[in-house]
Amino acid sequence: MAEEFMVVKDLYKSFKDLKAVNGVSFSIYKGEIFGLLGPNGAGKTTTIRMLSTVLEADKGEIIIGGHSVKKDAEAVRSIIGVCPQDLALYEDLSALDNMVFFGRMAGMEGKEAKAQAMENLKLMGLEGRAKGKVGKFSGGMKRRINLAIALMGSPQLLFLDEPTVGIDPQSRNHIFENIQGLQKKGLTILYTTHYMEEADRLCNRIAIMDGGQIIALDTSYNLKKQIGSPEKVTLEDVFLKLTGRSLRD
Amino acid sequence: MKHLTHIWFIALKDLKIFAKDRASVFFFIVFPFMFIVLFTFLLQGTGGEDNRVELHMATREASGGLSQQIIGAIVTPDESLLKPGDPVIIWDKDYEASRQAVIDGELEGLLAFPADFTQSVMTGEKTKLEIFSDAGATYARAALNSIAGAISSQISTDKVVIDASISLLVGSGAIPADSESIDRATQQLLNAAMSGAAPGGSDSFLTYKIVNVGDVEAGNASDFVIPGYLVMFVFFAAAVSAQRIVWERQNHTLERLLASSVKRESILGGIYTGTFIRGLIQIIIFWVVGILVFNVDLGLSPPAVIILSVLMVIMSAAFALMLATLARTMRSAASLAVLTSLLLAPLGGCWWPSFLYPEWLQNIAKITPHAWATSGFNKLMLFGADFGDALPSMLALLVFALIFGIIAAWRFRTSAT
Ligand SMILES: Nc1ncnc2c1ncn2[C@@H]1O[C@H](COP(=O)(O)OP(=O)(O)OP(=O)(O)O)[C@@H](O)[C@H]1O
Ligand SMILES: [Mg+2]
Repeated sequence: MAEEFMVVKDLYKSFKDLKAVNGVSFSIYKGEIFGLLGPNGAGKTTTIRMLSTVLEADKGEIIIGGHSVKKDAEAVRSIIGVCPQDLALYEDLSALDNMVFFGRMAGMEGKEAKAQAMENLKLMGLEGRAKGKVGKFSGGMKRRINLAIALMGSPQLLFLDEPTVGIDPQSRNHIFENIQGLQKKGLTILYTTHYMEEADRLCNRIAIMDGGQIIALDTSYNLKKQIGSPEKVTLEDVFLKLTGRSLRD
Repeated sequence: MKHLTHIWFIALKDLKIFAKDRASVFFFIVFPFMFIVLFTFLLQGTGGEDNRVELHMATREASGGLSQQIIGAIVTPDESLLKPGDPVIIWDKDYEASRQAVIDGELEGLLAFPADFTQSVMTGEKTKLEIFSDAGATYARAALNSIAGAISSQISTDKVVIDASISLLVGSGAIPADSESIDRATQQLLNAAMSGAAPGGSDSFLTYKIVNVGDVEAGNASDFVIPGYLVMFVFFAAAVSAQRIVWERQNHTLERLLASSVKRESILGGIYTGTFIRGLIQIIIFWVVGILVFNVDLGLSPPAVIILSVLMVIMSAAFALMLATLARTMRSAASLAVLTSLLLAPLGGCWWPSFLYPEWLQNIAKITPHAWATSGFNKLMLFGADFGDALPSMLALLVFALIFGIIAAWRFRTSAT
């Protein structure tokens, strides 16, 4: 793993007085699953929104697949896929309509979009519900659709912002296997979650973020080693040790 | 090309979502007609045939004079054949009584020929048509003025032709060269020219244009009600859809769109196109039902009415876009939409004719696109105006649309996230 697919240098973003992202730098290698962990309000989503060209950074540089987000956002948009933390779906439309629509928005032709939509629905175990109205889906199904849409247009880099929140172990497992399958296909993935075992299991490297800054970045194994025997301590122990026990807003 | 397909698919998606919402479709199509039916019914008593403008004509010449021929040619033979809004032309045989009636305010106006009318025309002397009119009766006065203008110009051209013909006839010896014979021949020709057409017939020698100024009431209440409600509901339906962009943001789908290959302008364009198409559907339904069910008369220039309607939709959709980029929440977008619609509709003359307002209020109303739209429709459909007269309204709507659109584009760029 040598080639850096994404390079982030000195990223800053404030909302009025609040420094949501306060000097973040890191790189993600090609084909890697990179975990971004942190307590509520750490600045993970804000970081992802800047990386995915939705939000303009106050300062800093982002290079994705060789393209600068600032100078060539369009090139960046053509190679990324986003699964937002909040469900981003048209509840009145069918699963297929949702998928095809966003496929179109990713620049695909009608037939191509439809074929890929069916393929991705199948991947998420939803091919039988393609014509069903998304609004009538269960929470887990909606989460899976939310993720499936991010795959439309065959992106090279995926931003997955808490894709498994609020779903049952079956759905979660299903999503896990899919994410691992995507990695095997060569996708690079940035993954955020509050489930430490999840991150431990999936991610090649993990960054722990707090107060808008990255306070640790390494493999799960190395992070655990910092506070004890990697076989005995959990990632959660590391997380709590690094970020403290006080509640966040 | 890619951007156009993006715009189209965003619009299509919005239309699909809209079509699935039964309640809004009902509100959008059926609700306006309930208002129209109600108001047509309420206004019915105020319009109608009784309010037809009457134009009175009289002459002081003895029978056999040229003026008798002229009046005979243009007097209304059968009132039931007139179109709504057309005036009735009445021949008053008693000049003095009619004149007194105008002075007493019983008649709005009178056009009278002098006693020496034929004589003057024959000898080429100047003669004057008299117009008496009530100072307040602007419409009647303008109509009489233009009839007088038409008569005099017609007579002048006829006279030139006849004089030339006579001198040819005299030259060739067909008519004896004495003045009595010439006079007789001239009068025969003039009479023939003036009474050439059957009274009220299609090719009457006199054409006259009635300039409409001021207030005339609609012959058919729907002619007023439909455009007013069209303006109000097209605007309202569009304004309410301002929630769309805010909703798209709150639904987080805007975030997805912003991170996809779609240009910011295409997102805005797509949402705009969706709103525009819905407005278009609305006006098509409005006019089709209006014409088939309510017998609405589009006036002299139906294309002008159509263009004005489309411009109304273009402007309303732009307003919605602007509202959407100004509002932070769906609730505020909706309240702003309702508030502006309910304020601007009556001010702009959608509920009752704004020419009933005091002048200062009419001036204030000019800042509403509604006022321009309704005055355009009223001119076209009630006052017999033609395409050119509606141009200021069309232009104004276009300017409003541009202003709203520019503000929306600027706001969207600075506040998309
Ligand atoms: N648009 C915004 N306007 C104002 N403040 C914001 C905005 N977006 C985020 N913030 C603030 O920035 C900080 C970081 O938020 P962010 O959503 O990035 O955190 P997070 O790490 O994703 O948290 P969570 O785990 O709860 O999702 C928070 O304090 C949040 O309130
Ligand atoms: Mg977050």
